[in-house]
Amino acid sequence: MYGVLAYAQRDLTRWLRSPMNVISTLVMPAAWLIFMGVVLPGTDKGYLDFITPGVLVMTMLNAGLFGGSSLMFDKVLGYLNKFLAAPTPRESILAGKIIFITVRGLLQALVIQIIAILVGATVLSFWAYLATFAILALFGVFVASFGTTIALYLGNHDSYAAAQSFLSMPLYLASTAMLRYDQMPAALYYIAKANPLSYAIDAARTASAGTFPVPEVLVLILISVIMALLCTRMFRRATIS
Amino acid sequence: MNTIEADGLTKVYEGIAVVDDLNLRVSGEIYGLLGPNGSGKTTTVNMLTTLVHPTSGTASVCGYDVMRESAAVRRSMSYVPQDMAVDIRLTGWENVELFAKLYGIKDKAERRERIEYVLDIMNLTERAGDMTKKYSGGMRRRLELAQALVHQPNVLFLDEPTVGLDVTSRRSIWEYITKLRGTGMTIFVTTHQMDEAERYCDRVGIIKKGVLLNEGTPAELTSDLDDVIIIRTDSDLPRSLPDGVIPVKSEDGETVFSAKDGSGSLDPLLDAYRADGGKVFSSSVRGPTLEDVYMQAIGPGEEAPFDEDRFRNMMRRR
Repeated sequence: MYGVLAYAQRDLTRWLRSPMNVISTLVMPAAWLIFMGVVLPGTDKGYLDFITPGVLVMTMLNAGLFGGSSLMFDKVLGYLNKFLAAPTPRESILAGKIIFITVRGLLQALVIQIIAILVGATVLSFWAYLATFAILALFGVFVASFGTTIALYLGNHDSYAAAQSFLSMPLYLASTAMLRYDQMPAALYYIAKANPLSYAIDAARTASAGTFPVPEVLVLILISVIMALLCTRMFRRATIS
Repeated sequence: MNTIEADGLTKVYEGIAVVDDLNLRVSGEIYGLLGPNGSGKTTTVNMLTTLVHPTSGTASVCGYDVMRESAAVRRSMSYVPQDMAVDIRLTGWENVELFAKLYGIKDKAERRERIEYVLDIMNLTERAGDMTKKYSGGMRRRLELAQALVHQPNVLFLDEPTVGLDVTSRRSIWEYITKLRGTGMTIFVTTHQMDEAERYCDRVGIIKKGVLLNEGTPAELTSDLDDVIIIRTDSDLPRSLPDGVIPVKSEDGETVFSAKDGSGSLDPLLDAYRADGGKVFSSSVRGPTLEDVYMQAIGPGEEAPFDEDRFRNMMRRR
């Protein structure tokens, strides 16, 4: 655990010291929130409340996909070999990375949540926020593992940047972020039902409404664990030959 | 027991033996593994540092088997790879602190003391609080050495420690390495800087296509070779050469000869040129160097395949 924290702390410190990186990943969800939630539907406060969980999940999605390249960069730039030659268990490199990407996503989601409240979203109870952020954390582990796996598989930044932009928008649009299931055309409905994003968004919405979404959370736990295991396999394959 | 031992160490990638039946015994010395790019130097180091699994053969570091006791191997050694990888958005102190933590130095006071000590050895104390972004290449390499030394390893593996550094930094890095050897540490370096290897390594091994061709102290290796005579001239070779003087190569108006007794053979050789009416612009005699040994062992240059990824990374960082 000591090594895991050392790795996560290294990444957090590096991130907080590069202001461009801190701000850049916030711009997109903030713009989305303000444009879709405030400007587009005129004065309808209900829609802002409806899309806020979706935008929070989008923040985690972007943070996770963006962070996915982090371990690949450590490998390409030679840091990873130094870490692998240290006596700390090797998996702690991966665990530290996933914790870092998730915590960073949660900090960004917190900023987005504050912006949502400032532009007029309904203020919820402490427990509703706590449940929402626990769901975001679970989803964060899923996306961080997913992004890291793909980046390690592709092995270079150019391909990963392409994959990232190829994945992020379609995943977001084909989820319940903007529409309820009953408003969707049939094709979209089935895609949205299979989209992990929808589970996170539905769960966050239910939590905002004051109940704890047990089935969705169980699904999220399951897919996070499976993805983290896949990622660990990929990590082992990418590090030791 | 030797600090580093390898027996029949072999690594095969896609049917090609990158390291082929390597045997090593290294203890308490600076050992230089020399060879062209792609000769298997880095793969050898990677196997010894537990980063790559050998295809066959065995190796041990400080008595621990690199396959079965890899964690113990990693606890007793440090590895500084070729890519200069210090975190530029961390200070020098923080860079070393990270490794102190990775090496499991949990006690805060002890950690502090160790960090202070290694930064002092590497002459970085004054700049310890600066972001390493502001460090020069030589300082970054010294910082990497500080990171590697923070847990007092018994063995230090250095992959091309002076690559990309200027002459002054190269010299200072080697002076630090020599000092470490004085403390009893075993240092295993790969390099293709022959002059540095000759000057600072206690023993060297020359590797080509994964096979160790030659091994010994630089003096041993050069003692088998003849002196070198270099003549700058616009004339052809003299019709008769003095006994024992053998032409080696001739290019760009420079002819190279080898001779057992270089200085004794120079005058007869110059006379031979004059006898043919040739004109000699300049001449020089020198003893054999490790580079001569190396060139003889490796043969005419064979280019390693171009590593595009590595090139791009180098460009990105400089």
